[in-house]
Amino acid sequence: MKDESTTRRGFLKGMAGMTAAVAATPALMASGTQKKDNFYGYDEKVVGLVSRIKSAGSLDFNYPDNDSPCKAVMVNGQIKAYSLLCTHKGCPIVYNASKRAFRCPCHFSEFDAELDGQMIIGQATENIPEILVRIDGDKIIAYGVNGLIYGRESNLKG
Amino acid sequence: MGFSINDKLPLPPVGAEKKNVTCEFCIVGCGYTSYKWPKGTSGTPKRNALGVDFTRQQPALSGVWASEQMVNTVRDRDGKEYHVMVIPDANCVVNQGQNSARGGAMAATLYNKSSFTRDRLLDPQVYAGNNLARTTWEDARDLTARVLKKIIDNEGPDQVAFKAFDHGGGGGGYENTWGTGKLFFSAIQTRSAAIHNRPAYNSEVHATREMGIGELNTSYYDTELSDTLFVIGANPYETQTNLYLLHWAKNLQGATVAAKKKEFDKGETAEAARIIFVDPRRTASITNSIELAGRDRVLHLRIKPGTDVTLMNALFTYILEQGWEAKDFIRKHTENFEKTAKANKTSLSDAAKITGLKAEEIKKAAEWIAKPKKSGHRPRTAIFYEKGVIWGIKNYENIASIVNVAILTQSVGRVGTGVCRLGGHQEGYVRPAPPKGMPGRQNLVVIDAEAAQGNYLAFFAWGCNPFVDSIMGERLATSFKRRSDIVKKAMSRNIGADNETMAEAIYRACKYDGGLFFIDVDIYPTFKSEVAHVSFPAATTMEMNLTSMNGERRVRLSEKIVDAPGTAKPDCLIAAEIANALKVLYEKEGNKEMAKRFEGFDWKSEEDAFKDGFAGQGAKMDSQGGPTGTLATYDLLRANGNNGVQNPIVKVSNGKLVGTRRLYTDNKFGTKSGKAMFQPTPQPPIPKQVANQMKKYEFWVTSGRLNEVWQSNYHTSRLPMPSTRWPIAPVPINPADAKAKGIKSGDPVMLYNDYGSVRAVAYVTEETRKGELFMAFGFPNSPVNNIVTDFVDPDTKIPFYKGTAASLRRIGRVEDIAGSMSFKNRV
Ligand code: SF4
Ligand code: FES
Repeated sequence: MKDESTTRRGFLKGMAGMTAAVAATPALMASGTQKKDNFYGYDEKVVGLVSRIKSAGSLDFNYPDNDSPCKAVMVNGQIKAYSLLCTHKGCPIVYNASKRAFRCPCHFSEFDAELDGQMIIGQATENIPEILVRIDGDKIIAYGVNGLIYGRESNLKG
Repeated sequence: MGFSINDKLPLPPVGAEKKNVTCEFCIVGCGYTSYKWPKGTSGTPKRNALGVDFTRQQPALSGVWASEQMVNTVRDRDGKEYHVMVIPDANCVVNQGQNSARGGAMAATLYNKSSFTRDRLLDPQVYAGNNLARTTWEDARDLTARVLKKIIDNEGPDQVAFKAFDHGGGGGGYENTWGTGKLFFSAIQTRSAAIHNRPAYNSEVHATREMGIGELNTSYYDTELSDTLFVIGANPYETQTNLYLLHWAKNLQGATVAAKKKEFDKGETAEAARIIFVDPRRTASITNSIELAGRDRVLHLRIKPGTDVTLMNALFTYILEQGWEAKDFIRKHTENFEKTAKANKTSLSDAAKITGLKAEEIKKAAEWIAKPKKSGHRPRTAIFYEKGVIWGIKNYENIASIVNVAILTQSVGRVGTGVCRLGGHQEGYVRPAPPKGMPGRQNLVVIDAEAAQGNYLAFFAWGCNPFVDSIMGERLATSFKRRSDIVKKAMSRNIGADNETMAEAIYRACKYDGGLFFIDVDIYPTFKSEVAHVSFPAATTMEMNLTSMNGERRVRLSEKIVDAPGTAKPDCLIAAEIANALKVLYEKEGNKEMAKRFEGFDWKSEEDAFKDGFAGQGAKMDSQGGPTGTLATYDLLRANGNNGVQNPIVKVSNGKLVGTRRLYTDNKFGTKSGKAMFQPTPQPPIPKQVANQMKKYEFWVTSGRLNEVWQSNYHTSRLPMPSTRWPIAPVPINPADAKAKGIKSGDPVMLYNDYGSVRAVAYVTEETRKGELFMAFGFPNSPVNNIVTDFVDPDTKIPFYKGTAASLRRIGRVEDIAGSMSFKNRV
């Protein structure tokens, strides 16, 4: 059972009121208090190749399971990946490469791919979850999700 | 939001307490369901109170889901902790399971000591030498009552000024408008009153009421049936979100043609709706409408600011010239037609010159509004207006000229029609009539300006912030601060004195030294707390039972689900505390007559205030419930759930309240004659004050709302998402202007004129034209009202918030601001 005052999320929510939200992720990753074999219980998964994304501009994959469509895109020379399920009512969001933003066709929420999925305008109450990826040679490896994916009570089902 | 790495949502167990909540934010009044259960208990992904199997991915749109903003943990006054979930109600006809960015975060706004709501006001406070110190209700109300009594007895009640909410939803509602109204109008009997977002005590829509048409006369369902939606000075995607995204969107996409066929006359053409926007700015509503309806079914009249009346008069004239007016209706059910037609005569070419529009565009709008459909039937046009014209160049004529077009085309009373304000807050007005001698609308006192100039000895700011939501904000703030400091000095000299001595010192500082005793009632500390001498903590939505009415007059009971923080109370009970304290003082003195005035506040709960006000008064008082409001009870409203009942209530049938879908279906209007009244509406000139600023300063500055920010930003400046998105107010600026000034998106800028200055962050975008700036309204840390002039419409005392002129200067670059918010095109 979760307690807002003591869990990491409760703590970080509190932090958000006082410090810039951008500080949250590094602080969290640095804390490393939970010793686990993999990152907060997520499995690592090779989701594609850097060379592919460089030529195609983007890459679709599923993570952390097959019901969760995601997209990796190249922005400012960096690979960023996001859930494709709109955090408003779950419609699949569509990438606009020239704007480097996602737009939802259902109620027109837009999320900035260059700014950790910040909602530019729209009706969601959360930014679009970011899929955490690292690069190993040519491999793109997903290792976690930052933010709750639409339609779940937990990102990791079961 | 980026703060969680695979956290789990808490899930309500089967049997968790389930209640109805009406969204505390905008006029649409979406229905929500709350679940509350003790910490330590939990549902499972398979078995929970939502009845949802979370071992499976929820489907898009129809799925039931709570985002992390929809859950919270609270501690009630019993000392126990509970989890709370608040999610949109799929059975509510208003929002059909859909939330907006604002309403969806209601659970997150609840008081939680370890969250961003931790600075909620918990107890009353009294100024104690260098800051406000927490104290007891007995102490705070006693001191307040003693000062008020001296002022009432010696100076008369008009020296007690109050500025308070008149609306529904959070920080309002029938219980609370009644409680405050009874305190000030019946008990204290002051006429020095102003409303939360404007400097006098007036309607924003005097004109339409005087023309016989109440401002909320249609239903959201009817807007699904309109042929044409005509929208003036409003941006519904961002400010009436679910009305637009559910009811209008369906209509624009043609998804309601079958319903139209059912409701329309036999053989009448039924197609997808077209939509017309009148707005100097390109908005998200326009972009999204094009996506929904197609480019050729959306018309954007990108008008020159302040020229709406000319446009309306030109539409009126052209419709008449074509013979598209509702001849029979005009003959039988209206008056003052000939005179108005003559006075308002405006040619297309003149209108084009004044408004900056093409004559062809005006013609096209007239066709969509009034030209007979293929079947020969009159189009069903629903006309909506909001702050763009309400707070425009001249409130009275702006509204009257729109209603003229509505009456001319019988866009009222029929299926699919209406001429309505879109609304900001929900409604929730029931108050005694103001005391005798309250001036008419043309002679109302502009309270805020008077107070700034030294009038009044006491000033209540009740659930509002006069320095953000009034005219010439910077001058007001400076003057209130000066007057407050005089009282603070007197209080400091008397630290440790009993309340009677302190009250005398305060009274003398106000009477002889120009001080102003400032009482703050709110839920959070704000900039105005800095000038307060006493503050009372209020409860809000979800912390009390609260009734309000939405933009289609739908009344719901929004139930109490948690205890208010600390000792905070509903506003109606705060009013009762103050009234009862005054009663005691008058009784002690043996002044029976005055003691009697303060009777009738022996309420134990907000329900008592509801029974006394909305359900008790009928037509005796100024009540939106009217004569049949007396049929309403909490039990009956609860039984009708999130669908409530639309005012006026017609009857109770089988234990259910039955209401009214649309008004004026019988063509009987609210004038003496029962006829709708046309009004001549000449184009108002640019007010002198504004013209002066235009001569001296470079840009036309208008203002408006952002989707993610609510009202004076009290909750939303604390919530993680909106506060990161909008750390300060953005000022959209055209790329040509930005280039000329060497400004980039993200640069802090200063806007300034003779009235003051304000900081904002530049947002380079095509949404505003060259020479025109738009600034987000309602940011306490960057209030655009600082540069708003003191002009009010002499006929209604409603300000021209939407028009001022200012110059703009780049300040420099703050990388953290520039790097933490998106500057991509929002429209
Ligand atoms: S549209 Fe308005 S009433 Fe509905 S959820 Fe959003 S803010 Fe609340
Ligand atoms: S589902 Fe994406 S905006 Fe509503």
